[in-house]
Amino acid sequence: MNYAEESHQLDAEIFTVIQRWHDYDRDLPEDAFNELALRVFEHQLHYNQPYARYCETQNVSLERMPEHWHEIPPVPSAAFKEAALTTFDPEQAALVFETSGTTAGHTGRHYMESTKLYDAALIAGFDRFMRPDHIRLRYLNLVPNPALNPHSSLGYMMGRVSERRGDGATAWYLHGETFNVDAFIGDLEAAVEYDRPVCIAATAFALVNVLDILHERRRYFALPTGSRVMETGGFKGRSRVVDRDDLYARTAERFGMTNCSIVGEYGMTELTSQYYDDVMVIGHDHSIARVRYKLAPPWLRARVVGSDGATLPDGTVGALVHVDLANRSSCVAILTEDLGVRFDDSLVLIGREHGAALRGCSLAAEDLIVR
Amino acid sequence: MNALRAVPARRVVRAVADAAVRWSDADFPPRVRLLDRIVERTGYTKPVVEYALDQLFGSLTVDSLEATIAGELGSLDVLDEFALRPGRPRARALPAGVVCVISSRTTIGVAIVPAIFALCAKCEVLVKDREDGLVRAFFSTLGQELNEFREVTRAQGWEGEGDAVDLGRFDVVVAFGSDATLGRIAAAMQGGARFIGYGSRASIGYVAREELRDLVQATAIAAGAARDLVLYETEGCLSLHALFVERGGLIDPTHFTALVAHEVERASIEFPPGKRDARASARITNARNLAAFRSAAGSGSVFSDARGSYLAVLDPPASEPPAFLPRALAIHAVDNPSDAIGYLVRHDVPVEAVALAGKREDLRTFATEIGAHRIARFGDLQRPPLGGNHGGRARIADFITWITDER
Repeated sequence: MNYAEESHQLDAEIFTVIQRWHDYDRDLPEDAFNELALRVFEHQLHYNQPYARYCETQNVSLERMPEHWHEIPPVPSAAFKEAALTTFDPEQAALVFETSGTTAGHTGRHYMESTKLYDAALIAGFDRFMRPDHIRLRYLNLVPNPALNPHSSLGYMMGRVSERRGDGATAWYLHGETFNVDAFIGDLEAAVEYDRPVCIAATAFALVNVLDILHERRRYFALPTGSRVMETGGFKGRSRVVDRDDLYARTAERFGMTNCSIVGEYGMTELTSQYYDDVMVIGHDHSIARVRYKLAPPWLRARVVGSDGATLPDGTVGALVHVDLANRSSCVAILTEDLGVRFDDSLVLIGREHGAALRGCSLAAEDLIVR
Repeated sequence: MNALRAVPARRVVRAVADAAVRWSDADFPPRVRLLDRIVERTGYTKPVVEYALDQLFGSLTVDSLEATIAGELGSLDVLDEFALRPGRPRARALPAGVVCVISSRTTIGVAIVPAIFALCAKCEVLVKDREDGLVRAFFSTLGQELNEFREVTRAQGWEGEGDAVDLGRFDVVVAFGSDATLGRIAAAMQGGARFIGYGSRASIGYVAREELRDLVQATAIAAGAARDLVLYETEGCLSLHALFVERGGLIDPTHFTALVAHEVERASIEFPPGKRDARASARITNARNLAAFRSAAGSGSVFSDARGSYLAVLDPPASEPPAFLPRALAIHAVDNPSDAIGYLVRHDVPVEAVALAGKREDLRTFATEIGAHRIARFGDLQRPPLGGNHGGRARIADFITWITDER
């Protein structure tokens, strides 16, 4: 098979996996996942030269193929800042997503050959974990507007979701560094008045800002039943970091919703698919504080690794490696600095704050509170 | 007036040195009792902790203490009475008052040296100690050597924010930490009080091409660099974080990096790696794999072991700051010290000490230009002499106040 035939066939198989899960709740057994992951990886060794060269340094090549998806060398996410990691000519990319943060002036880029897998994966995951009740929502987006930020994966994601699952009154409030707070408040008021359930999609940092402004203005809302919040993105590069439980509690109070209407989404520019909190799927007693488990669609799996790269047993904290079959045209396995712990089929995200700091004659009395 | 003021300075010094001698003995029962607690607190392995205690207490000798005091104050006698100093008016050094030393989480016994000099200045001293209680235990030994120490030394366990001290009542505060922390502490002090802050700093190394003439010499430098790297898990300000190696030597930078990697593995036998938290492990894994990715693309080289216990990366991008990770070293091939200066300035790396291999005068100039406080041999970065000027500061002069008699 030539490249076109091979990539087309793999895409079709992955697309089928996605559709079967989305439409018929058909899972992907471990052996089927393993077989497909290894074929996607083999395809990438053929056509993604930077990745193949890296795998050589890990003693993996077409001649020394792994037998299990755990053995696929994960490329560090920062490598997307170093090279175009694609199986195809990046000039021909249908989608180019850029990482929001830069390291030493470099922006990472994730090139995708087609929109088909990305769209199918995101809609399937969103439908399952964000709207298991199938409600058509009004999307109030506190994330980059894709019309202004075509390389924002988050913006693209919410653009697609709003288009396909929205009520036609989608709104965007971020314009560069500015936030149109009056428009946002006006739309919340309208949603309440006309009883239109909304989905507020926001980065954690934007959500904190919104809550601060609403606090200053002494505004509370009782959003219509079915309303929800999708929080994502963490506090990367921001000076202010807020405890997530506290953030969710404040959000629930401010918008008149239960804690389990707030869903944490975990995604990366370098991935095609996303994880979500289990809260809307499980539907638990929201008066009880509990750990939020991240769930993934069956074509996305995580393993937790130690410093030797080996998979750690369930219940052990380590770095996360994601294997995303929908990353067919880039790298199927991604190593992150995010910390997590696995329990059976779910994942608990421990932290996303990156970067080591200079430590001097010591780490000192950082916890000193001076009276 | 505290009880120590009536004790002759030489007697104070002798008592400190005698206590230090007892603590230098690895079988001294209080030290034995504390060892596991220090290991538990720091995560360092026992050999590393033993080494730290040997270095710390081994340096507190009568000779070194007296030489340091006399070097800074002109003579020891000024601590007891008005005394003549060469070319200067007769003067007496009085204690600056009550001193607080805020200890740190990592460096073992970091508070002890300033506390000792504050005591030699006959100040009353409170140390905010760490969980292992090392300072408290050493103060107890001091009290056995000289009764007056019992009245002027206090070590309180550090319990976090609930145990915050009222810094306004101290005349001198010594603290170790980030600029932000030091700023907060300084802001809480009374006007007129002295603040001695030791901010976050790093140490680096520089190898001149002339020193890479043969394998024996290069291996010796690499062994020293390895020791400077692995001790205290690269956490201290005297740890080696970046190493600059000149091109043009008979041993080229790639070969030298391989030597360093080999020597790190050897040094790890004497000083095994300590406990590493998941975040540090994740960062090391990422840094190693990213370096491997770059290497595969033809940029730089990476050396590590299967466990990822260390990482030596040759020629990471100049745009990338040092990793500041346990046992992780960035090695940059350079043409001259200007290249190293450019890198350090670009990343705003505050340099505490520089290990130099080379006798050229421009290397001393280099050390001065980067603002280093100390030039050392490779292998000695983590063994600062007591008479040195840690943080570029005096040892005892900050703890006294002068009165001169010009009649």
